[in-house]
Amino acid sequence: MWLGVWLTLLGLILGVIVGLNIPMVLTKAHAKYLSVAVLAALDSVFGGVRAAMEEHFDHTIFLSGFFANALLAAGLAYIGERLGIDLYLAAVVAFGVRLFQNLAIIRRHLVRGIKRG
Amino acid sequence: MPGVCASSTQSPLEGKVSKVKWPTYLSLSLVAMILGVLLVFQFRVVRYIEQGVSLGRVQELTVELRQLEKEKLKLAAEASDLSAKLQQAGQGQAEAEKALEGELEKARLLAGLVPVTGPGVEVTLDNPPANRGWATSLYVIRDEDLLRVVNELRGAGAEAISINGQRIVATSEIRWAAPFINVNLTRLVPPYHILAIGNPGNLRSALEIPGGLVEYLQELGVQVKIQAHDRLTVPGYNRPLEFRYAKPVVKE
Repeated sequence: MWLGVWLTLLGLILGVIVGLNIPMVLTKAHAKYLSVAVLAALDSVFGGVRAAMEEHFDHTIFLSGFFANALLAAGLAYIGERLGIDLYLAAVVAFGVRLFQNLAIIRRHLVRGIKRG
Repeated sequence: MPGVCASSTQSPLEGKVSKVKWPTYLSLSLVAMILGVLLVFQFRVVRYIEQGVSLGRVQELTVELRQLEKEKLKLAAEASDLSAKLQQAGQGQAEAEKALEGELEKARLLAGLVPVTGPGVEVTLDNPPANRGWATSLYVIRDEDLLRVVNELRGAGAEAISINGQRIVATSEIRWAAPFINVNLTRLVPPYHILAIGNPGNLRSALEIPGGLVEYLQELGVQVKIQAHDRLTVPGYNRPLEFRYAKPVVKE
């Protein structure tokens, strides 16, 4: 269990270092899609954490959800832009609500775990 | 894979209580890494956008730049036009200056302020010799004699006349101030050398005409000598020429 946590942290740090050293910057128009994708990825990660706490974590579902959500969110934002609808707002709302739900469930699991001792 | 796009949170049906295995660790690390890249990259993009200028401002500045470029073109055309005009004006001024200089040169020449050279005659007048038994001459050359000579020369078309180096100009006087003759306020003594520029033949014949001035003077005993020269130089008037009372009439 702890090995997994450490590996995950290592990956995160590695990713931060890589992200800091990417030699290009997106324009404002593209940054919108990336922001939605990031939100979707965050949602997937917290969903995965919650699944792990409820002990029904499946890493195939986790991986596919992670990438599919991110790409779909960005794609929907792009289509919305083409259609003249701020569709990325829908993605923001949906993923945001789910993010908060997941966080709340994780908090409850944590509190319950602490109480249980 | 449209069927698999559901989030992991919405798959409680799987219910797979699994011991964490190596592939899971690897996938988790990969996901964490991608998340880190995305997060940090997004942070950087947002910060860059905040530092940068907004889209509206960019459009505004672009329009302004275009306007300024147009204005610059217009101003450049105007500048070249004006410089061409300035050049023309400068040429005009240079021409006017040249014309004025030529006019001034002519005026100075006519006023007798500059030395002139050309063909002419040299008339030498001297008092009668004193060695005929008398101590002094019977006759001395008077201002009237010189005036008559000068008058005769002018009448014959002399363009420049000088007496003993004194140029005769419009204000020159020839005045008896015994025992001298004053010309241009300068005392002159005999012999008098009168230089006149003009047609030498005309000048000479005007003086030597029978019954003329030379004959008259020679009868008085004055020694008169007339020499024609192909080239002689008459000095210019060298005193300050200034009118203190006479002013030009201003035309309305």
